[in-house]
Amino acid sequence: MNRWRFRRLSTRGLLYMGAALLALQAAFPFFWMVSTSLKPPVEVFAQPPSFIPQDPTWDNFHRLFTGTRFLTYFRNSLVVSGLAVLLTMVVSAAGAYSLTRYQYLGREKIAGLILCTYMFAPIMVVIPFFILVKKAGIENTHFALVLAFTSFCLPFTLWLMRAFFKTIPLQLEEAALVDGAGRVRAVIYVVLPLALPGIIATSIFTFILAWNDYIFTRILITSDELKTLPVGVQDLFHSALIDWGLIMAAGMMITIPALLFFVTVQRYLIRGWGAGAVKG
Amino acid sequence: MTGVPDPEFQTVASSGVQPSSGVITAEPRAAQRAGWIPVTRPKRREQLAGLMTIAPALVLILALTLYPVAYSIWLSLLEKHSFFPQERFVALENYFYLWKDAEFWTSLWLGVVYSAWTIFFQVVLGVAAALILNETFVGRGLVRAVVLFPYMIPTIVAVILWKWLLNDTYGVTNYWLLALGIVRDPISWLGADHIMLSLILMSIWQFFPFVLLSILARLQTIPPELYEAAKVDGASALRRFIHITLPQIRGILFVVILLRSIWMFTKFDTVWLMGEGAGAGRFIRTLPVYAYMRTLTYYQAGLGAALAVIMFAILVVCTVIYFGLFREEADIG
Repeated sequence: MNRWRFRRLSTRGLLYMGAALLALQAAFPFFWMVSTSLKPPVEVFAQPPSFIPQDPTWDNFHRLFTGTRFLTYFRNSLVVSGLAVLLTMVVSAAGAYSLTRYQYLGREKIAGLILCTYMFAPIMVVIPFFILVKKAGIENTHFALVLAFTSFCLPFTLWLMRAFFKTIPLQLEEAALVDGAGRVRAVIYVVLPLALPGIIATSIFTFILAWNDYIFTRILITSDELKTLPVGVQDLFHSALIDWGLIMAAGMMITIPALLFFVTVQRYLIRGWGAGAVKG
Repeated sequence: MTGVPDPEFQTVASSGVQPSSGVITAEPRAAQRAGWIPVTRPKRREQLAGLMTIAPALVLILALTLYPVAYSIWLSLLEKHSFFPQERFVALENYFYLWKDAEFWTSLWLGVVYSAWTIFFQVVLGVAAALILNETFVGRGLVRAVVLFPYMIPTIVAVILWKWLLNDTYGVTNYWLLALGIVRDPISWLGADHIMLSLILMSIWQFFPFVLLSILARLQTIPPELYEAAKVDGASALRRFIHITLPQIRGILFVVILLRSIWMFTKFDTVWLMGEGAGAGRFIRTLPVYAYMRTLTYYQAGLGAALAVIMFAILVVCTVIYFGLFREEADIG
């Protein structure tokens, strides 16, 4: 009896140790980023390093907002990600509606084809994409970037939306049609409100993908005033002496929006995960 | 939530009233779409409406993903400067060049090393962590949320974080290793000898939450009775894992390993950003990075495209072999 209890206790102990390690490995780097961003330059390089800033200051953030083009990059990121979300949602909601509500020849083939393109990695698409964008004369525009994000996100947003649309009972919609509502009104008043969780989830995925993207922006955008955050912040590295306090402050400012979105939609995220909604 | 008076709809639907217009008949069509009645031939109008609504998505995917990928095959047969319009057809010359190019073989090897190690540890750690987070303990919800952070943040943030943690002079990693007496001299984590190790560590940290969450989602659907029965029979934890858990997660494991392999083998941003400005970047110049550099550092778009095509071909061949090896799992997954 005693031995059994001891074993039980020790497995509980191991479990808690494992859980603590998991939390620590994920959280410590972020803690360190926050800590560094609040330190004055002297303390950033202090040995031994202090875990809690001894002399906390907003100086790094102040310099980030006034001394660099951070706010421009931030605005660009918001604009491009927002437009990508808008376009992706409209196109994939229409597509998902088509794939679940209409009967036509080749429907399943189209669905399969779309899923296949999910396998293409950005590096395989971006090189020819860059050449084609140059030929079309739209290089170095936010328009090209929005198109790139949309086409990159579409396979999985469509797939996810299709899964959500499938769960909406057709009877509701048809009842609306019976009542004399047109197709469009039935969609607006019946289908879309019911699909709202799915729409929110997919738009968040698109937003995070666009917000986090590095490769498309690096290749398609050349002028500084059009750059988005990840590329703009990487270029802060190019100064002779790396200003770690400033960079950590920038890192925090990029992470916060992404994490905010992530926390608000976590419930949907877990549901969407099964449908293969997160790519990277 | 719906903003629509549900009960009213239901009474109409359930009373079986047929609409006077005769265009839409609620019940039979619903049954047909649900697959209860075999579909014969869709009406022309419906075909048109269906194709019209899928068209924008289809056009975007065809024009912006499939066409570029097809175009890269053509591009790989050209000698072309990345910025100027001149191009010259050279047939397979780019491929012959790469065959004799030592840098290509090195990048292929580095890419394989990087993918193999990161995939192996992501899967092992991801499954182990999923097993832990599937148990009940105080604070489980919080830990489940926190472990996903690394996967959600932009790669640039992950990279600057790790470059700072691993900084040879001021980094906290070296500080601890020295303070605990594990090493005598600071390790140059981003130097030639260790940069691949650092990159692999960082990539595992960033991407194993994907495996964790996928497996955890599946674990939650395993009926607990299976474990109860095994416990009654006196099966040890290890035996329970091998005989109950493993067969249950086989299908999802197949899919997760496939996806992670594709994504790790083609991983660009993490590798590129880690190597940039580190001086030792060429020791982690994997195939995707090399393809990027041929296109945008040497401006040889043809060679860059040839590298992308080779990468794609390797993936296709490996995927086919993988499906052949694990036919059973492919059916479940």
